[in-house]
Amino acid sequence: MADALTITNLSFSYHSYQERPLEPLFSNLSLSLDEGERVLLLAPFDKGKTTLAKIISGVCPKYFPGTLSGTVHLFGTDLSTIEPWHLLTEVGYVSQNPVEQFIATTVEEEIAFPLESLGLPRAEMSRRIEASLSLWGLTHLRDANEGELSGGERKRVLLAIQEAISPRFWLLDEPFDDLDLMWRVRLKETILAEGKTCLVLASRYLSDFVDLFDRVLLLDEQRIVELPLPEAIERFSTLSGDDRPNPLLTQRIEAHHQATLMADDLTVERRRRSTATSPPFEMHVDSFALHSGELVTLTGPNGSGKSSFSRLLCGLDEPKGGSILLNGKRQGTKELNRSVGYLFQNPDLQIFLPTVEEELAWSLRRRRERSTKEIEAQVGDAAELFGLRLADTPTTMSYPKRKALQAAVYYLLDRPFYILDELDSALTYHSALSIIASLRRRGSGILLITHDRTFAAKVGGRAYTIEDGRLTER
Amino acid sequence: MNTSAYVAGHGWLYRFDPRAKILLMVLLCVFFFLPITLTGLALTVLLVVVVGWRNTGGKNIARVFLSIAPMLLFMLLFSPFNVRSGQSLWSVRSLTIITVEGALQALRLACRFIGITYVCTLLFATTVMGEIMLALRFWRLPYKAALVVTLSFTYIPFIAESFSQISESHRLRESAREERKNYAQRLKDLLPTLTSVLVVALRSIPNLAMSLEMRGLGRSERRTNYRSLDSYTHLFTDFVISIIIVTVLWVLCKA
Amino acid sequence: MQENKNALKIAVTAVLTAVVVVFTMIVRIPTAKGYLNLCDVAICFIAFTFGPASAFIAAGLGTALADLISGYAQWAPISFAVHGLEGLLIALIVRNKAGVEASLLKKILAGIVCMATVTLGYFALSSLFISTAAVAAAEIPGNLVQSAVGFILGLGVSTAVKRAYPPVRFLAW
Repeated sequence: MADALTITNLSFSYHSYQERPLEPLFSNLSLSLDEGERVLLLAPFDKGKTTLAKIISGVCPKYFPGTLSGTVHLFGTDLSTIEPWHLLTEVGYVSQNPVEQFIATTVEEEIAFPLESLGLPRAEMSRRIEASLSLWGLTHLRDANEGELSGGERKRVLLAIQEAISPRFWLLDEPFDDLDLMWRVRLKETILAEGKTCLVLASRYLSDFVDLFDRVLLLDEQRIVELPLPEAIERFSTLSGDDRPNPLLTQRIEAHHQATLMADDLTVERRRRSTATSPPFEMHVDSFALHSGELVTLTGPNGSGKSSFSRLLCGLDEPKGGSILLNGKRQGTKELNRSVGYLFQNPDLQIFLPTVEEELAWSLRRRRERSTKEIEAQVGDAAELFGLRLADTPTTMSYPKRKALQAAVYYLLDRPFYILDELDSALTYHSALSIIASLRRRGSGILLITHDRTFAAKVGGRAYTIEDGRLTER
Repeated sequence: MNTSAYVAGHGWLYRFDPRAKILLMVLLCVFFFLPITLTGLALTVLLVVVVGWRNTGGKNIARVFLSIAPMLLFMLLFSPFNVRSGQSLWSVRSLTIITVEGALQALRLACRFIGITYVCTLLFATTVMGEIMLALRFWRLPYKAALVVTLSFTYIPFIAESFSQISESHRLRESAREERKNYAQRLKDLLPTLTSVLVVALRSIPNLAMSLEMRGLGRSERRTNYRSLDSYTHLFTDFVISIIIVTVLWVLCKA
Repeated sequence: MQENKNALKIAVTAVLTAVVVVFTMIVRIPTAKGYLNLCDVAICFIAFTFGPASAFIAAGLGTALADLISGYAQWAPISFAVHGLEGLLIALIVRNKAGVEASLLKKILAGIVCMATVTLGYFALSSLFISTAAVAAAEIPGNLVQSAVGFILGLGVSTAVKRAYPPVRFLAW
């Protein structure tokens, strides 16, 4: 069997924008896949999984400056001698974050673009597009604006694109994430289909993977190791820190805050998608309460109104009916802004300063309530608590670190309540739980929004769920 | 943020070939600058408005008018003072305030303004952006330029959405005691938000470039087009109609 | 190999154009006379951080598109010319070897050029194609303030972004 992918002695480190060079992500990593093989690569977050995928697709280091040594051969061709567009029909890369791969306005145009690049005649393009849309259940969304699709729908768009192109090598980064059960089954069928080589990078939903792959690899300490699935999962668990004790269970809380946040007979108007034809959707909350130091989870399917509800709690929107009560009193949006910290899913929304230290100190310095020494001490403590280095540049840190920075900024704001929106996406469970534990330290009440029930179970606490337009306690 | 100027409708303008529509629009705009009688200009503008009304609906026409009304008012109030010599229209104690010529010129400018606005608005109201881009490419706009415009339209909502989320994020982070802020301070407070927005926008660039190349931009094969203007079957007729319309107007209205 | 940077240029131009459009349309600060928009902030930022070609295209195309979308179609060609020239000139003035900050003198010159281009450009082209000199003159104070504020903020933002996001220097063309 011809070799599909051969990586020999790969080392890579990203370009460092400070004097200190960054640690290499891989050292002498070697990997090879035969054509037609289906391989699972387990890799914890933040260890170079996505970088490896980008290297295999030929776009790193071209668009992500860094030093690369070693060779990567794809179907016999050395990647450093060709441009990424030569790989259109050779490698299909489905990113973990679909938004970064969108270049068109509608779903149909997105699928059409690569086919146009191939110079296919219109009839052939139509045929392929119809087939892909229908395979992935997107026919009714063909004219939809990609910005308004749910996470699962976006994933399916990426998969439909690859279906239309039909490359020889499928490189899928966390493809099962965000997909409903029906589509996970469809994805499995796609992976098992004849005539393609498949490399799946994953770190979640591992129980789905039995019998799906020929081999299982593990990215362990900058190298690739091959193991049978059960051992691989165990070792992976250790690498992700998931076998460490749940920090929430052993936590001691300094009871700093004493407050209660309640929602009373609330009507939530769900934020509209402008292209959807259904009428505005209302969600009703009979009662909701969050006390200081408490952990509360909110689960519900995509688009059920979790974010809309959170926005009401922190005062970003006004409720259509009913009220939010803080310590029993009705509160306006300004007081809610001050009392409830809402951590958006995207941590980059607040980053604007060149170093972690400045980012953390900014809010404190503006208040002018504390001396420089006190601020320094607080900032140092927060950095240590969240595992951050003061001199790092936030925009060049990895995603888990930026999330930790976002949490650290809010920690220093010392709000009585925090709402965490989908904290666990792209973080190991352990990292996410540590962040929650750190935020809880001073006795703040935490509302966690997630669609991952395993994670919700690990967090514990009271659970609310949204079903059929009602938010109720389980 | 709504980036679409398109208004759904059924009139003949919608069925008119976009390539000819662009030609018609350009010719009409040139026509408005030609030496034509004021009556001719006014009637042409009225004709344009009526056609627009029939095709896109009264609401759209009214909306456009409201958006240019302030500027129009300003123009009508101040232009008449421009022309000082000539027959007086309104004078106060032997001081001529407005001359007839001044008033006429103001009217002409106003008509031209209204005319051009409606002509351009109607083009965008009756043609989807994708077809406008295809029509422009027919008129020799290079593919790369069309791609840049199309990509911009993809990113405008993304950046606008980021902007509002970032503003909210900073609002949540910063809400402290209420302070009365003057303009200088408010502008200074805008800096963090603007910086974050720009960083978010800039970060998307390598991903966009990467995705473009991964989807084949740069390949040696000649690109084909999934979308086409083939559904418009009367290209030649529509071209001829465009030219005839403007020629007739010119002949009728020339001064 | 891997020398061809066409896709990067297209990506940079497209995103920067979108940035100009958003800054023109969404960000509005109410003043006594009406609204100030922040298009000049975006244009000056691009001129300081990127090269003359991107500044010209993004500034011109961005403001023109914003005009077309908001229904002020006749200003589109004028905006393209005026702001495109603004971006081009500022970028040319402050252009330096990589990594070297432009001198204060160059910045002041750029600021003056910015204000002059916007104000005179709009005045001249508006009085020729839109209305009369008298009416166009009424826009002058507003344009002066907007371009001045835009320049100062743009300079501030440019410094902040370069420090916060160092990889930006790889994007400039």
